Amino acid sequence: MPKRVAIVGVGMQKYEFRKERTVEEMVFDVTRNALEDSHLSKDDIDSVVFGSAVDAFCGINNSDKVAIDASGGLLKPTMRNSTSGSTAISTPILGYTHVASGMHDLVMVICYEKMSENDSAQAVFNTVYDEAYVRPIGLNVPIQCGLEARAYLHKYGITERQMAKVSVKNRGNALSNPYAQLPMKLTVEDVLASPYLSWPVKLLDTSPVTDGARALILASEDVARELTDDPVWIKGVGRGADSVYFMGRKNKDLGRLDYAYLAAKQAYDMAGIRNPMAEIDYAEVYDPFTYKEMQHCEAMGLCPEGGAGRMIDEGISLKEGPLPVNASGGLQGEGNPIGAGMSRLCWCYLQAKGQAGACQVPKDVNNAVANGWGGMYQYNAVMVIGRD
Amino acid sequence: MNDRVCVVGIGVVEAKDPMVDVSHKEMLFYATRHALDDAGLERKDIGSAITTSFDFLEGRSLSNQFTLDSIGGVMKPCDLRLGEDGIYSLFAGYMEVMSDPSQVVVVASVQKASERDPDGLSYQKLIADSMEPVFSRPVCKSVPNLLGLEPVLAAMEARAFMDRTGLSEEDLAEVAVKNLNMDKGTKGSGPDKKTVLKSDMLSWPIRTMTKAKEADAACAIILASENRAKDLQNEPVFVSGIGWCSDKSHLAFREQGVSRETKWAARQAYKMAGIRRPDREIDLAEVSDWYAHRELLHCEALGLCGSDEIKGCVADKSFQKEGRLPVNVSGGLLGRGNAVGTSGLIRVAQIVRQIRGQANGFQVPGVGVGLAHSWGGIPTATAGVAVLSKW
Repeated sequence: MPKRVAIVGVGMQKYEFRKERTVEEMVFDVTRNALEDSHLSKDDIDSVVFGSAVDAFCGINNSDKVAIDASGGLLKPTMRNSTSGSTAISTPILGYTHVASGMHDLVMVICYEKMSENDSAQAVFNTVYDEAYVRPIGLNVPIQCGLEARAYLHKYGITERQMAKVSVKNRGNALSNPYAQLPMKLTVEDVLASPYLSWPVKLLDTSPVTDGARALILASEDVARELTDDPVWIKGVGRGADSVYFMGRKNKDLGRLDYAYLAAKQAYDMAGIRNPMAEIDYAEVYDPFTYKEMQHCEAMGLCPEGGAGRMIDEGISLKEGPLPVNASGGLQGEGNPIGAGMSRLCWCYLQAKGQAGACQVPKDVNNAVANGWGGMYQYNAVMVIGRD
Repeated sequence: MNDRVCVVGIGVVEAKDPMVDVSHKEMLFYATRHALDDAGLERKDIGSAITTSFDFLEGRSLSNQFTLDSIGGVMKPCDLRLGEDGIYSLFAGYMEVMSDPSQVVVVASVQKASERDPDGLSYQKLIADSMEPVFSRPVCKSVPNLLGLEPVLAAMEARAFMDRTGLSEEDLAEVAVKNLNMDKGTKGSGPDKKTVLKSDMLSWPIRTMTKAKEADAACAIILASENRAKDLQNEPVFVSGIGWCSDKSHLAFREQGVSRETKWAARQAYKMAGIRRPDREIDLAEVSDWYAHRELLHCEALGLCGSDEIKGCVADKSFQKEGRLPVNVSGGLLGRGNAVGTSGLIRVAQIVRQIRGQANGFQVPGVGVGLAHSWGGIPTATAGVAVLSKW
């Protein structure tokens, strides 16, 4: 039987563009913060799991190897996971298997990304595509996501105004997040007036280019109970991936994320959650674009399929709402260092612990869900955490 | 113990010559197909799929994500992508099965070295790009044209190792001859010591023939729990110990001529497998012989021989096929070619073949416990060790 796994510490750091710290220094900072948060020393840690999406961002081949000293992982087992944006959640899931399988008791999970060390992040993103068919046409993230957003808006009758409301909510929430890169007080009109990057995706519908890192410490049940009276458990994990060719998707429909529904179902089944709308108290979903938050809210079962427009219209996902989503500001407000989107999970943990400071939602958080989206725009990883 | 993890299927596609008529995705597809056939499974049985690769080697960001379709990972309940050496996928797969014993997990890796530019310069650039950028990289970039950067770095550790153990160039040539001839199948048909010692010097004492050449290869391995494996056609081979470890990758701070990462990885694996005297309990080993001196360095770090015995082990042919502890009977990286990042997983497949008694010309009689080792290559200091057993 798999062992129970708890999160016992978190290491945060301010997200910035052109952060004046090297990869090693960023990793060092969050490692130390996480160790301080959990009252552990680096010698207590059994193994380290790294997560970073694309080495070409920082221009170092195997950048995790360079950061091994800084992570306290010297002469310890270290492993690096890389699934683009979903590295955010698939890395803690890899850490989860380290503990659940009984291999290790205390695992440090570190996600980092230094996106500003290159000429253009979008030029780097072009190199994820098939070199024969897709790369030559110059596809990158906003263009691909423009296609996807169009299909989604058309399929469910969502409007650009509803998308804009997500941007206003998340960037507004980021005002109370001390680690945020892009807190802004916006109106829907501001967002609608911002220029199109790739119709219907506008500048203020997207997340910024960011440098940053996050760390989490995972512990087995025995160890977690020694460290804290009120552990936050990893209750369910799920992953799903569709074909890497978006022309080759099973459902031939860019608007519906079958793989995300698959991942969410696994996580909820494992956590024993039947009705996420009622049982989930807080959610941090992956929102590199505003429509992506809406898609993910649907896939995570936080609203009915196609109901994400109404969810934002009725204020359900506001910080004070019945089911707050991204009260930390999400990727829109906090910043989007691709692999280090693990911040979503960190904020779920902080909310469950009641340590989210000014971002704390005015309700008890027992169960929270976080997801990550990435791979070749076809991979989703979901984690459900919560208290006893 | 009830919940053990077994290898139930293996599939390897490899060639020393460039595989020009298949893409890396096709190579991996064939490897996975072979593995599924070997296990008597179909694509629908796959629960989780894990691939590994290095972006810079592939010339593609998220290269590991790209091979998902080839290994039957589409719309499966879970999968993972690692930016690590191939053998790490075995470790991740092991933990995946232990976390959910109902899973059948495919772990795979592919490397198509022949798609890089053939003069070898591209690989040297990769080595420079793997360096810590502030202090180490500027020094490495000053090597003229970057040509020979890798041999220069390898030569430093080879010299330190030879100084410490008293090994000579002839001893290294002996290792190269052993592995190059293993691959020839019949003894003595490959190059002899004289040829090796006359081959071009890259950076003393590294010669063209004491360094493994790059090759194209793909490998897929299917893992399942003991319970699940009972119903399958093959006699399962148990993964009884795994360990992985990394040392400093900063060249300036690293101790040269030792492999601390291998030693510590082996310590974990032996502890798990309950092995106290590896030199006696292990019947056969496949270790990384990227350079000839590295085979001996790793044998020492793995505890297959004492530090003072290395020279003797070469002299009395202990590591030959007929010796006390056969090492790299498959030919190793020197004999078979080095598919960077995939070779580690192929080492595991070779051990599985030996334990099953299916190694044909390479078969060593009565292999019960085998060890597979992989090393990440210069400049990283990363090692993985897997102990596989028949029982």
